[in-house]
Amino acid sequence: MLELKGIFKWYHSGNNRTFLLKNIDLSVKVGEFISVMGPSGSGKSTLLNVIGMLDTFDQGEYHFLNESVHKLKEKQRSILYKQYIGFVFQAYHLLDELTVYENIETPLIYQDIKSSERQAMVADMLDRFRIVGKKDLFPAQLSGGQQQLVGVARALIANPKLLLADEPTGNLNSKQGEEIMELFKELNNDGVTIIQVTHSEKNAAYGSRIINLLDGSIEH
Amino acid sequence: MIKNYFSIAIRYLLRHKGYTITNILGLSIGIASCILIMLFVKSEFSYDKFHTKSERIYRAWLHEKYEGQEFINTQTPIPLGPALVSNFPEVESMCRVYTFSTLVQYKGSKFNEPLNMVDSNFFQLFDFKLAEGDIHSVFTNNHSLVISQELAKKYFGNDQAIGKNIELQLGDEMVLFTVTAVTEKTPLESSIQFDMLIPHSNENLLFSERARSRGWTSVFEETYVLLQNGKSGKDVEDKMPDLAKKIAGDNYVEGQYNVNLQPITEIHLDKSLPAGNLPVSDPAYGYILGIIGILILLIACINFVTLSIGRSTTRAMEVGIRKVLGAERKQLISQFWGEAILIALISLVVAVGMAFIFLKPFNAISNRELVFSLSVFNILFLFSLVILIGLIAGIYPAIVLSAYNPVKVLKNRLQGAISIGFFRKALIGAQFTASIIMIIGTIVIGQQLNYLQNKNLGFDKEHVVVVSTNKPRADGTPLAEKFKTELLKNAQVLGSSISIFSFSEPGWVNLGYEDDNKIYRNFRMNSIDADFVGNMKLQLIKGRNFSVDNPADIANSMIVNESLVKEYGWTDPIGKKLPGRFDHTVIGVVKDFHFESLHNKIQPLALVMMPDSMIRKANDVAFVFSPQPRINIRLKEGNLRKQISSLEKDWKSVAPNQDFEYKFLDESLNNQYKEEVRLASIVRYASLLSIFIACMGLFGLSAMAVRRRTKEIGIRKVLGADIKSVVILLSKDFIWLIILAALVAFPISLWALNKWLQDFVYRIQVEWWVFIAAGAIALLIALITVSFQAIKAAIANPVKSLRTE
Repeated sequence: MLELKGIFKWYHSGNNRTFLLKNIDLSVKVGEFISVMGPSGSGKSTLLNVIGMLDTFDQGEYHFLNESVHKLKEKQRSILYKQYIGFVFQAYHLLDELTVYENIETPLIYQDIKSSERQAMVADMLDRFRIVGKKDLFPAQLSGGQQQLVGVARALIANPKLLLADEPTGNLNSKQGEEIMELFKELNNDGVTIIQVTHSEKNAAYGSRIINLLDGSIEH
Repeated sequence: MIKNYFSIAIRYLLRHKGYTITNILGLSIGIASCILIMLFVKSEFSYDKFHTKSERIYRAWLHEKYEGQEFINTQTPIPLGPALVSNFPEVESMCRVYTFSTLVQYKGSKFNEPLNMVDSNFFQLFDFKLAEGDIHSVFTNNHSLVISQELAKKYFGNDQAIGKNIELQLGDEMVLFTVTAVTEKTPLESSIQFDMLIPHSNENLLFSERARSRGWTSVFEETYVLLQNGKSGKDVEDKMPDLAKKIAGDNYVEGQYNVNLQPITEIHLDKSLPAGNLPVSDPAYGYILGIIGILILLIACINFVTLSIGRSTTRAMEVGIRKVLGAERKQLISQFWGEAILIALISLVVAVGMAFIFLKPFNAISNRELVFSLSVFNILFLFSLVILIGLIAGIYPAIVLSAYNPVKVLKNRLQGAISIGFFRKALIGAQFTASIIMIIGTIVIGQQLNYLQNKNLGFDKEHVVVVSTNKPRADGTPLAEKFKTELLKNAQVLGSSISIFSFSEPGWVNLGYEDDNKIYRNFRMNSIDADFVGNMKLQLIKGRNFSVDNPADIANSMIVNESLVKEYGWTDPIGKKLPGRFDHTVIGVVKDFHFESLHNKIQPLALVMMPDSMIRKANDVAFVFSPQPRINIRLKEGNLRKQISSLEKDWKSVAPNQDFEYKFLDESLNNQYKEEVRLASIVRYASLLSIFIACMGLFGLSAMAVRRRTKEIGIRKVLGADIKSVVILLSKDFIWLIILAALVAFPISLWALNKWLQDFVYRIQVEWWVFIAAGAIALLIALITVSFQAIKAAIANPVKSLRTE
């Protein structure tokens, strides 16, 4: 599905180059469920953002579904990720001013999908996550676990091939966290490729492969 | 998509009520001021455009060049109109308008009324509407009279006006007229205003045969012409020398006598030509007001921008999420701009309501009768205004916020990215600069006004009542004398004097003559009695006053002012005569005094007892007000109402059949400065509004600043900071900002006000303390606004703020 070859990312502080990512080689196949682990500041989130095309890198090659991402312009990249990638965040990042329904609907709006079609898709998703009863509530009216459920639903609404999750259970209690991880496993079984960043060994165990990062490099 | 944006916008507005109210209120006030000022400016620039033929109507004006002197007149000779029609095929028709005031008599009541004598095609050329009567048979004969609804009500009450007979004094005769039509109120935006019209065929009663047929150098009335379709004023002007040759015959000198045509629509705002029958307006006032309107609106827009910068941290998060969800930048730009336009639209609705409410007080201040209707023009104006405001006000979120990098925003790494401190400060600074300029303007204009109204004019205007006899000199003088004698018995009266013009008829008589060296000169003249100098408290600096016992004084003595002495370069003026054909000799010199408004320089002046011989020997005579004996009565200090009724009793005893018409001199003099009073009050209100709106923004911003620094304040308080030091901490930034704003405002306002003051011959100097005062006022108001929030933060319990972190 995607392949990173010799990816470097750095910034300058004074005359020194500080590396965020150092010579990353990674290839991910369709249907994998990968957990990225490592101490704080080891570059987990940066790696995830690079894979998600939200962030750029300074050197190396990135191939995503036969496209050479490093050669694409920003606009083309955004078209690519809009279509194939869904994001889940630790802090959920729901839009406070929108209802559950509208939050889930938003990505579809940006993909210019017609209103009637959107309605059907959102209804399906609400159904699948069993949150139909909450569709008119605002994020502030939900528990953390419910909010993250909405976050996942929103990430999946546009049928992405790849789900990127940055510590999806970091703000949840253990029971809520377990539910989300079970959900991820189900999704993975349905064919969604998942890459998650996590601190927890237990959550990492849900994945099919674990990648350990230290100081921007993959540990072997 | 629109629905999504719309609901997020509405919910955002509802959730942040303080923010919303500040924004909408500020913008509404800004838009409402703009609406009112737009109405005023539109009115100023739409004069005379209501005539359907306004594009083809011109007013003739005269430009004479003679021996190096130039004379420009918008009043024209009587034979000019007919000559234009008969000499130039381009001139389709003409209409002359002669304006004067005369005595009107109806069923025993007598009033002095302004009156216009016009050619009979008046209603065909101009589009004045009739309330009653047939527009095609208005002037059926010499004695037809057209009267306004207002005047018809005054004379006939609710009775049918058409067919009523009224007597008018024309020349020395009382002539009976019959009302044939009643007109609707003349539009305010008309350079021709009238209450009564009589046909021009009565000219023989008012003008001499010479003036009517050959008076090419005497100007009396306005001449309007209608040009043929497709012809311009220039086409006719180019051929004017032919007419001048015909008139002058052998005496023709090229370029000496020029008739020009001015489009009727340009009359009102053209200050380069002297005013005709009505005062013209300085277009500068329209521009000044327009600028004030734009400034207020700009201040409100800046509020919007600074407030949206203040809440950009929260909005930035939304931008990050939306971008991750696939939003493109242009979609975010349209969302933010859409939101701004939505707020502007809501403000528009509020503003339209405000404009309707405040139209009446605004009309009172601006001395207009403006109407605010939802016409196509107004609606288009308002919608383009809203779009413009939305675009300006939404520019910050639309351009800056939408460019944020989602990774940084979502990671809360935005502190560095929002380095907008300078931009925001510059905007607040700009608001206060504008406000301080307006405060300085308020003070200086007020000072100049105060100066105009209280300057020592060289005579004593207090406690003086002017009574008009409303009779020509021959009849009026004996009446005035009788009244004056009667007043001797009135204990309330300190003294009285008679003059042909009083100080309420500024300008007096302008006489022009050619002196011994063939140089054309002018001076002003008034006819007074022996008591005038003493009663008006003029200061005699040389020679003596008139004496009733000296027949030579009555016939050919004169008292002149210092300006006249200086004009003729006399070192010993007593006994001198004007170097022309006049017989009057100087017996006294008075210190210069202001017999015209302070816009004008004091002109050379001659005071005489009998003006006839002087007028007869002058080449040109011009006066604005009707000459008639007027009695200037100086009262004791006391109860005015009682004094007036005692004067009325005295008047009735000498003129039982004539109404008692009086004016307070100080009031009439203050009327000369109406325009300035109007400007002063508009600027005063504008500066109040602008500082109010600016403070609203400041209030909102300081609230946000306080919220952002809650933790800092909490820590400082735990470390032992007292309330005072916290307030100072929070106010410090704003104080510097306002001081800076004041420094920018000073030179701008100094320049603008000096420019305005140039209009006055007699004016104040702009003093340095005004700037300090204006700066201090702005600073004080801003401090109060900020400290309101700062104190609230400073007295809050620090434990609370630290716990929530």
